[in-house]
Amino acid sequence: MNLSMNVKKSFGSFTLSANATVSGDRVGIFGVSGSGKSTLVSMLAGLLKPDSGEIVLDGECLFSSDRRINVRPEKRRIAMVFQQHSLFSHLNVKHNLLYGFKRCSPENRSIDFDAMVGVLNLEELLGREVINLSGGEKQRVALGRAILANPRLLLMDEPLSALDDSLRFQIIPYLRSVSEQFGIPYLFISHSLIEMRLMTDSALVFEKGNMVEQVNSEQLARNRMGQSHVGYINLLQLGRPSESAGLFAYPWGAGQLLLSEGSNRDKSMAELSSKDIILFKQHPEAISARNLLECSVRSLFSSGRKIGVELECGGNSLIAEVVQDAVNELGIVPGSTIYAAVKASAFRMLPGA
Amino acid sequence: MILSNDDIQSIWLTIKLASVVTAILLILGTPIAWWLARSKSRLKGVIGAVVALPLVLPPSVLGFYLLLAMGPNGPMGWLTSSIGITLPFTFWGLALASVFYSLPFMVQPLQNAFESIGDRPLEVAATLGASRLDAFFTVALPLARPGFLTAAIMTFAHTVGEFGVVLMIGGNIPGVTRVASVQIYDHVEALEYAQAHQMAAVMLLFSFLVLLALYAWRPNALNMTRRD
Repeated sequence: MNLSMNVKKSFGSFTLSANATVSGDRVGIFGVSGSGKSTLVSMLAGLLKPDSGEIVLDGECLFSSDRRINVRPEKRRIAMVFQQHSLFSHLNVKHNLLYGFKRCSPENRSIDFDAMVGVLNLEELLGREVINLSGGEKQRVALGRAILANPRLLLMDEPLSALDDSLRFQIIPYLRSVSEQFGIPYLFISHSLIEMRLMTDSALVFEKGNMVEQVNSEQLARNRMGQSHVGYINLLQLGRPSESAGLFAYPWGAGQLLLSEGSNRDKSMAELSSKDIILFKQHPEAISARNLLECSVRSLFSSGRKIGVELECGGNSLIAEVVQDAVNELGIVPGSTIYAAVKASAFRMLPGA
Repeated sequence: MILSNDDIQSIWLTIKLASVVTAILLILGTPIAWWLARSKSRLKGVIGAVVALPLVLPPSVLGFYLLLAMGPNGPMGWLTSSIGITLPFTFWGLALASVFYSLPFMVQPLQNAFESIGDRPLEVAATLGASRLDAFFTVALPLARPGFLTAAIMTFAHTVGEFGVVLMIGGNIPGVTRVASVQIYDHVEALEYAQAHQMAAVMLLFSFLVLLALYAWRPNALNMTRRD
């Protein structure tokens, strides 16, 4: 996807201004509520007309105020998945899925119906009425419907925000399949840093209607660590656990971690906040935290009033968060050895991830 | 209960009139309701008020102006007489007047139904490749189906109950313009209370059953005030 946009749109005292050139298949649009994210995607989809500017996708001008071009939404081949699933309640699941497929010209139909149904696990749902589906099922059907329209770009406008946490992480692999399995580039809109990291490679950052940054998604999470009340979320890939003295021992790279929460899956993902890691200069004599990791400091970075410490612990990466005084007291410099303590209860398993 | 041939003829004419008016208004009222539901035009308030006028206007006032408009010197009358059609005191004149009179009973439920759909389903349809017309027929109309049923029942029932406009435009011609409500009036005028009772009972029962069915199906279906 190659998208260039330079658009403005005003509503009363609010003005959205976006000027960016975007390339890549997994791009995010990040910002808090009211920053103009949804306004921007509505303009990209053709649902909202910019006051001025230009939008060009893969060399085709979709909007130009100077040249008086405004391609209608049905002609843009840009599909959308909305925050609320927005399924057609008068059609069953199969007919919802086929709505865009039937309207796609045969030469653009590269995605097979059965293949999509298989990837999104929709086989069992095809004959059902949409009112009988759960929130996660509805969002999967909405995703499948958008994929089957064979768009050249998929806009996902906070598709996870209406779902609770457990469903959110079950849906993410399906959302990722848009690019990984079907080769459709997407713009993923969210105010969640963790969703940004899981779903995108780079992100456009919006604040109060202005695009303020275009950045790597991982870098974005580090930059925002100091301002976030949850800090930087470390995502840990874990193996199948075994019980150990009332806790669960998970393989983690070459080492292992003790967690209070069990799992019966061969692979799990857990999150750990940078705020929940305590650093020691020397090996403590005794400590209640069940995980004590010997790590080397890979790098330091500042984020607001906090310092992020990137650690390498037995081949695995972790980011801890400290204040400048702690850096000075512990003598933390790149290459130094440090001990990281984490309570077994500080980890949170991500369901389905 | 024994109804005379004139009574049965008036009931048949009433059903025919209500059916014709409902059919015409389904076709005319749908685009008006759609426009009122979707438009951001400044004229929306004016058009909405014009559509709602029959709800508050005395039927005799509406009938009087329609009679003038359909007369030989009126714009409608001038237009129709140029192609050899006379409207006043004919079935089709009565049907045309009833279309105006029952317009809000078709348009308002449809407008409510279209408004309740919201923008999102139509936006989704557009991003899936549906043109406006396509989205209207494949998304808006099916989603507004309950509103169509309400509107059709309300329009039919309201037309059945017409009196003032009927008398002004149609007069009282047996088999042509004498509908059930006028027939009851005639019975009362002639002091034929038994026959008037029978006809009135038929009308009462019909109206009650229609409303009962509507309330049982959609308890909030009737959200307008009727004045007759």
